[in-house]
Amino acid sequence: MVFSSLLFMFVYLPVVLAVYYLVPRRWRNLWLFIVNLVFYAWGEPVYVLLMLFSICINYATGILVERHRDRRKKAKAILIADIVVNLAMLGFFKYYNLFAATLSAIPGLRIPKLDLALPIGISFYTFQTMSYPIDVYRGDAAVQRSFISFGTFVALFPQLIAGPIVRYKDIADQLGFRAGNIDQFASGVRRFTVGLAKKVLLANNIGMLWDLIKARSAPELTVLGAWMGILAFSMQIYFDFSGYSDMAIGLGRMLGFEFLENFNYPYISKSITEFWRRWHISLGTWFRDYVYIPLGGNRRGTGRQFLNLLIVWALTGFWHGANWTFLCWGLYYALFLMLEKAFLLKKLEKLPALGTVYALLVVICGWVLFDLPGLADAGRYYAAMFGGAGGGLASAADLFYLKNYALTLCVGVLACLPCWKTLYARLAPRPKAVLTPVLLAAALVLSTAYLVAGTYNPFLYFIF
Amino acid sequence: MRKTALWVQALVLLLFIALFFVLHLALPDRAFSQQENRMLQTLPDFRLSALFQGTFTQRFESYITDQFPLRDGWTAMKARAELAAGKDSNNDIYLCDGDTLLETYTAPDATELRYRVEAVNALADSAGVPVYFALIPSAAALHADLLPVGAPNDSQRTTIDFAYANVQARTVNVYDALSAHRDEAIYYRTDHHWTTLGAYYGYTALAEAMGFEPVPLADYTETLVTDAFYGSAWSASGFSWVPPDRISSYVEQGGAVITNYPKNQPEPGTMYDASKLELLNKYPYFFGGNTPLMTIETGNDDAPSLLILRDSYMDSLSPYLLPHFSTIHILDLRYYQTSLKAYLAAHPVDQILVCYNVNNFSQDGNIFLAAG
Repeated sequence: MVFSSLLFMFVYLPVVLAVYYLVPRRWRNLWLFIVNLVFYAWGEPVYVLLMLFSICINYATGILVERHRDRRKKAKAILIADIVVNLAMLGFFKYYNLFAATLSAIPGLRIPKLDLALPIGISFYTFQTMSYPIDVYRGDAAVQRSFISFGTFVALFPQLIAGPIVRYKDIADQLGFRAGNIDQFASGVRRFTVGLAKKVLLANNIGMLWDLIKARSAPELTVLGAWMGILAFSMQIYFDFSGYSDMAIGLGRMLGFEFLENFNYPYISKSITEFWRRWHISLGTWFRDYVYIPLGGNRRGTGRQFLNLLIVWALTGFWHGANWTFLCWGLYYALFLMLEKAFLLKKLEKLPALGTVYALLVVICGWVLFDLPGLADAGRYYAAMFGGAGGGLASAADLFYLKNYALTLCVGVLACLPCWKTLYARLAPRPKAVLTPVLLAAALVLSTAYLVAGTYNPFLYFIF
Repeated sequence: MRKTALWVQALVLLLFIALFFVLHLALPDRAFSQQENRMLQTLPDFRLSALFQGTFTQRFESYITDQFPLRDGWTAMKARAELAAGKDSNNDIYLCDGDTLLETYTAPDATELRYRVEAVNALADSAGVPVYFALIPSAAALHADLLPVGAPNDSQRTTIDFAYANVQARTVNVYDALSAHRDEAIYYRTDHHWTTLGAYYGYTALAEAMGFEPVPLADYTETLVTDAFYGSAWSASGFSWVPPDRISSYVEQGGAVITNYPKNQPEPGTMYDASKLELLNKYPYFFGGNTPLMTIETGNDDAPSLLILRDSYMDSLSPYLLPHFSTIHILDLRYYQTSLKAYLAAHPVDQILVCYNVNNFSQDGNIFLAAG
């Protein structure tokens, strides 16, 4: 199930909220546990068992690690075994076919392909469940004895299928008692609605422009068309993913949970270093805490730091999908991060305007690598962007698309800027009290119209 | 005050989702959507096997979407929002001058098109009787000037020229016959079909290719059938405020005997099915709509017999053919499940006509059944 669907908004959500607030407090986690499974099993009636398996072994590992706390070696062995099982599961279901296809390219080697569908959200929940025994091992979190509470943490529907990746230690306290009040609930409503509008009104619409342009073959692709297209995708993926995170955070608040932020206006970054502090924050944090720092981070000299960066970014890239292009995309960022650590960042600090342009260019060009199916396709697309594809500067079709999408693109660009948030915060209480419900209602009504009318509702982060 | 404001915000969402939850339960489910011209999903039966295959959840989700309260109103709101946002189209239907709704054409690549032509060639090779091949352009070709500048719309002329250059059947120049009358109402504004008048010009092109004298238009009397025809483009577009079309008829059924074979069994058919005028989409008024097989005994026993492989454009055209043929077999490969070869063996004919709209010919996979 996805949030931006009529089924979720008008059947699942009202039932979940109504029962959640009507039953006695002590039953709330059990209710959440049940509805989480329904939410997941809705699209994955079989793979829900895989998720339950993941919950069970990590729950057991947590208890075992705690029991052997005094014998570090044994605790460590248990933890490593658990991590291996988790990664093997992710590796098998997500990457098996890629490896099979790649190895089969070696003469004499034939590895059969398997008919595997990627279990929804496995990339997210595997990272999430793994964080728990690690946190317990490190003493960052207390062991969770309640299976229901642990299951609720893993399968919590707001963040189950597309993040934010909630680390166990960040949410451990909230699994017991959640106060919940109208301030939190109303802020959840606002956040959910903003996310819904970002996803349904912006991402889906701008995405149609990208689909149109992506479908055009290389000789037809003009410079203007190529730039318009990749700009559209840059906005689509941002509004899609950050909109989904907003909805997750909003829904969490409606149920009394506080998740960490996942996006913070990434497109205003003045460097790539800054961009990755603003984009998919929970993933970056996860890799920092559980990979980069354990590898030694920046404490073992520049050479080792660069190696660590390479490892982390190769993994980050590869996490995004079972395709070597994602690995390249990760390494592409490693390159810029190393350049910035070496000298670029100091230079850019003196020229913030140039930094913004540079960071935007790097990120936008990066999306080509990210979304096109192969390196050759990406190469052709780069050629078109920089006038080397022979399609000319612009065509009548480009101008037609520009006219048709001008308003959507403008709204999209403006929505990438933080000034609206600042302006809203400065609003006097009385106009705010009037304006907020009006805007909320307008966003809900318009999004509903698009949801009802639209068959076009693909959710991009499903494939990761 | 502050708390009240927060409660108001919370209630906006809660009441909104609760309202449509309750409305869905309270309002009766619809089995058919007139506006969308299709069956709607009704509450699916629960079965464990369906649950594990994922079909139950899919159907249940379609059920929620299809039966969403005020569904048609929401669709129209989205269509208006698209226009307000500067778009020229909604759901790939362009809203053009004079409330004309146009669907643009995307040409298949040359290899794909060649395969399709080969299917007609295979039929022409094995039939042993003259095979005629007619491609009918859609409104987006002849009214391309109504589309916004730069809107992606491939040339149907190019497709037709390519197909005709490669086909080993006798070609029919429908394009030019229509083009000569492009300022008349040869296409519906709200539907993808040609009008009965457009079909008349198609008939004159056929007459020229097949070598018979067409009945002059002036010999017919135009009868207005309805002025409330909401076509397929109207349904798809969501532009529900666009006014309906008129349907006219020119030919009377007279003594022609029509037999329909909806499920292999003969049933009496009719040239004009008035019961279909109760629908919003009234095009099935002609012959009662899509059917796998239909035969017309015209009573002109001295004239040749004809088999037509066709799509729904033919429904408007076939009435004109009555004076020129004895028996007409009208076969729609999209619905006809039995072998064409076997049918031809059982019902020998003097001539064969393959007549498709360019769009259908480019897209419909069943055309390959023509090869037998």
